[in-house]
Amino acid sequence: MTIETSGSNAATEQAQEVVLFEVHKKIQVRAVSGIFANWRWTLVWFTQLLFYGLPWLNWNGRQSVLFDLVERKFYIFGLIFWPQDVFFLAVLLIISAYALFLFTAVGGRLWCGYACPQTVYTEIFLWIEQKIEGDRNARVKLDAAPMSARKALLRGSRYAAWVAVALWTGFTFVGFFTPIKTLSSELFTLSFGPWETFWVLFYGAFTYAFAGHLREQVCKYMCPYARFQGVMFDPDTLVITYDEERGEPRGTRRKGSDYRTQGKGDCVDCGICVQVCPTGIDIRQGLQYECIGCAACIDACDQVMEKMDYPKGLIRYSTENAIAQHWGWKDIAGHIIRPRVVIYSAILVAITAAWLWGLATKPVLRVDVIRDRATLAREVEGGLIENLYRLQVMNVSEKSQNYVMSVTGLDKIEIAGDSGIEVAAASNKSILVQVRVPPESGKKGSNVIYFDVKSRNDEKVAVHEKATFLMPQ
Amino acid sequence: MQRLLVVLWPSFIVAGVAEGIFFTLIDPRELYLFGEPVHFSTIATYSVGFLVLWAICAASSLLTCFLQRTPGEINGGGCGQRLASLAGH
Repeated sequence: MTIETSGSNAATEQAQEVVLFEVHKKIQVRAVSGIFANWRWTLVWFTQLLFYGLPWLNWNGRQSVLFDLVERKFYIFGLIFWPQDVFFLAVLLIISAYALFLFTAVGGRLWCGYACPQTVYTEIFLWIEQKIEGDRNARVKLDAAPMSARKALLRGSRYAAWVAVALWTGFTFVGFFTPIKTLSSELFTLSFGPWETFWVLFYGAFTYAFAGHLREQVCKYMCPYARFQGVMFDPDTLVITYDEERGEPRGTRRKGSDYRTQGKGDCVDCGICVQVCPTGIDIRQGLQYECIGCAACIDACDQVMEKMDYPKGLIRYSTENAIAQHWGWKDIAGHIIRPRVVIYSAILVAITAAWLWGLATKPVLRVDVIRDRATLAREVEGGLIENLYRLQVMNVSEKSQNYVMSVTGLDKIEIAGDSGIEVAAASNKSILVQVRVPPESGKKGSNVIYFDVKSRNDEKVAVHEKATFLMPQ
Repeated sequence: MQRLLVVLWPSFIVAGVAEGIFFTLIDPRELYLFGEPVHFSTIATYSVGFLVLWAICAASSLLTCFLQRTPGEINGGGCGQRLASLAGH
């Protein structure tokens, strides 16, 4: 690229610097069908069935996936995460990040093009737009037409349909945090809590704005991942590429004409690849950061190539090296295994294995011992010294459990009162425990003692916790 | 409008992360406000917490935005565009 440095150019460049973004032109996307569009729709169905469906599914008599903020417990099918398990969620995020890096290094922006919620909801909103207002040409005409009863009706119904989907999305989102069945019964009696209403509208408004109006601008200006995903690319990463050598010089021609003798390449310059692009770029200008890798231009171009009886793949998934060195699929596949991919995979496998092992061996009983802060030590009947402790007993299993507690570490140490504890399934109990010791058993000041909490039905479920016992001076 | 989005959007993301970390570590039922236990419902505490964090993060973003502009842009009437075009001619 050459940079001209004439005076007037420098002035425009400076002037442009002040404007944060280029002026946004509305992109009317032409609908496309083909193998990659089918993949995208498959993922739209898959992800949205999960999103809209999961909260309605039951598991062990409770909502299958519920992030219960009030009780501070996350239920994901059989797994229950307590705030103490935040480590697992943090590692899960790291695993997701590494998986994303790996997929991106191998296949480019697969996430962006097929599975990102922004892509998925835009696809749904575009589908609505097309069903109500017609294809791209009809919509461009409608945009340009003056306001009329027909235009108002079409626009109105499009916005109404968008609002309906957005509200349902917001409702479902809140349903992941407040049991969705309670929520839906509240919906029918119109007794929504104020904050639930707020979050339904808030999330709905975001969905509406992002998928209906902002669309490609989210990817271009707002997405942090889109900004740095370039560092995961190398010359062997699959990207959507226009085969310049084969296509250029582009030009219109009649079907069946001997265009090669006219000095033309395979590109018929129909411009459909530009019309289908959700970010409005021309892939023929080479790889651009705006390209989200949705492959709509591949589907579109393949259809044109088919009509012209040319071989498909003028625009295709390929790599920088493959284009430069005329590699076939075998060579591309042979270059998948490279240091970057091996390192990402190794880290991913190691972390995932450690995470699964951690989950499998997650303790089903947890006990926190906290000394009662109000009283240090006191003398009770029989001259014994008493310390108070608060035991937080967390039963992480799916069954109600009976535990027995004991205390050791000092001579003749004992628990006053009942030493049995019953804790319901997946819940916790806070109990006040009085521990008594004869004064001659320990030294003045702090003494180390141990609490043991054991399950009555399973020997292996046991917790040994250290605590301090204070003797008065 | 775009400047507003540049302020609100990053602060929204950071506030979301901060909310997650803060309330993972701290139980909203153990919070005190002006020496009194917080008597909002749990959902209200989480929600207000998020909005407050968002506002704090937005203030930081706003300050960043402000400091990025040159003194000339801030003080010079019609700001940068006029200065830039003057420099060019």
